Amino acid sequence: MINKTFVVAAIAIGSAVALTRAAVPNPEITARSIQDPPRQQQPRELVLALDNPSYQPRIGIPDFVAGGDAELQAAAKTLADVLAADLDFEKEFLVVDRKASASIPAAATPETIPWDSWRQIGADFVIFATMRRSGAQFTIDLKVLSTRSEPVGQQKFGSEYSNCAMNNPRYCAHFISDDMHAKLRQLVGVARTKIAFASDRDATRQAGRPDMGAIGKEIYISDYDGANQRPATANRSLNINPTWLPDARGLAYTSYVSRFPDIYITLFDGRPPTRPAAGTDVIQNTLPAVSPDGQRIAFASGRSGRYDVWVVNRDGSNPRNLTPNTPNSDEGAPTWSPSGSQIAFTSDRTGSPQIWVVSADGLGPPKRLTSDVHADAPTWSTQNYIAYTLGGGPGHDVAVIDLSKMETRIITDGIGSNKQPTVAPNARHIAFVTTRWGKEQIAIIDFPTGKSLRRVTDAGNNTYPDWSPVPGGTSNATNRTARIPQ
Amino acid sequence: MKDAFWRLTIIAAVLAIAAACGGKKPPVTKPGPDPFPSTSVPADPNPVVSTPPPPTALPVPPDANPNARPYDALSTDDINKKSILKPVFFLYDSDELDEAARKTLESNAQILKEYRAWVLTVEGHCDERGTPEYNLSLGDRRAQAAKNYLLSLGITADRLKTVSYGKEFPFNPGHDEGAWQQNRRAQFMVTAK
Repeated sequence: MINKTFVVAAIAIGSAVALTRAAVPNPEITARSIQDPPRQQQPRELVLALDNPSYQPRIGIPDFVAGGDAELQAAAKTLADVLAADLDFEKEFLVVDRKASASIPAAATPETIPWDSWRQIGADFVIFATMRRSGAQFTIDLKVLSTRSEPVGQQKFGSEYSNCAMNNPRYCAHFISDDMHAKLRQLVGVARTKIAFASDRDATRQAGRPDMGAIGKEIYISDYDGANQRPATANRSLNINPTWLPDARGLAYTSYVSRFPDIYITLFDGRPPTRPAAGTDVIQNTLPAVSPDGQRIAFASGRSGRYDVWVVNRDGSNPRNLTPNTPNSDEGAPTWSPSGSQIAFTSDRTGSPQIWVVSADGLGPPKRLTSDVHADAPTWSTQNYIAYTLGGGPGHDVAVIDLSKMETRIITDGIGSNKQPTVAPNARHIAFVTTRWGKEQIAIIDFPTGKSLRRVTDAGNNTYPDWSPVPGGTSNATNRTARIPQ
Repeated sequence: MKDAFWRLTIIAAVLAIAAACGGKKPPVTKPGPDPFPSTSVPADPNPVVSTPPPPTALPVPPDANPNARPYDALSTDDINKKSILKPVFFLYDSDELDEAARKTLESNAQILKEYRAWVLTVEGHCDERGTPEYNLSLGDRRAQAAKNYLLSLGITADRLKTVSYGKEFPFNPGHDEGAWQQNRRAQFMVTAK
């Protein structure tokens, strides 16, 4: 039996992100597990089980049954395509290419599924899903059936997802993917996460300047898979370095909208952003990083001369210099450890920029983590590694420090310049900026393989990516470490 | 007499700055590996022999007629677009003012002494090669270096703000050494006149 719980309520807490100008939260999708009574399993079935962590079950995803409603059929097509891509992304399942399986006749009932065809194409399991519409919403009844059970077609997973929005089947697919990964693979899926970044795609030439390259940048937000890219700022100035609040319900970022850099926090609620670092033209602040509890902001500021790492409370109280003893070097680019007890940052106190770490209260001497030609932009993952930009050649590459072994290695492939990594909340993927396609674009690779390159952006130059937390937290699944598929 | 006084003042200021910089940070040939040795930059297949943009400022002789104030008719936007205050340029990964940069700043200081109402922001900019985060601090150092030299030339601090744009606002959006030379700069933007 896959899941002994008869009813599991998983609640998606609205949308991770809604725009300042158009707050449209996603509906609260609910999942209700539907289980067949347990049956005797064959030994071969146990090996090929849907929840065997050392096996990558092969899943076929035919079109879902949607009746005669053309809109519902369109939603069904999107749902199946996006669910296939979401499941493929984590590689916990080997998804049979939907184009390859398109020739297998669709079945209106589980009993009429052509099992031989699915086995021939290599599927251990087939998803059978029926959708029914209720106004602007639909419900999907999804089953995962075995092609190899005795008798064939035994149900291994079943759930009914209600309150899916007709106008947002992608989110419904993301929810189902995260639910399947949590319940079948004990994995925090990232299908509902988003990536924030800075983009010059609006080509807002700055007025009254001699420099032709002075193009404004706005903060943009994309779904993790590149869908739904939309602006989160619209001030036509320079906005960089977005960083998510830990509940994924807001962003901190650097804006030059007042003609000097300061840190802004927006909750996408239409209210003006707050400015916890209280910048002025002589107290300038940049490169924010929000603590895991959301209560403190670390950032770089040159207010005492050279750049230092400062920490201020979210409400603007108690600004303090974390690196006061290095008046002749620059410290910046802070990142918090997952527990919030330490901060890694960049310092050029030994000549070239390197990654250092210090306790978040500033007590004790900082410790140096890298010995590279040029190291910058550290980002601390949830799985005890720090990814960062490694410079030194004609371009950059993304490197990783394994904190348990204190070993570093390059994870990008050296094609183009690769920089500014951000790590997915399950630590199995790294998004970064690459110039391999010409302009600066955001791409994703898997950790630790460095493979499965996927492109996220294509319009303009896109930099400073930051991967959101999982909306609603990750309490419904433990976080398994990365598994390398065969 | 007046010229001689200024010459001495400038020489003294240059020496003072040189001494201060020398103590604080060694010049370009600093110990340890250069973050991005220029030898590792591949040869540009289409080399552009580039020099900083030609000066567009009208010459202001030291003994200019105080009644001839050619920039009074210009808006701040025009002053900035025409680069009446000329930018100064830096070597790779350096915030040192070389002789050409100091001469440019001295010329800018002359204009600022003629136009005492001008308030400006000294912007520090970088080429695209360093990491974007490091470039924010490098740009800040460049802006501070230019500002400090203007201070030493007698321009008052209340007229000089600084800001770093890192690599975000290149003068020339190209990707070769010619563009990079133009982008490693401190740029002077008049905000009030």
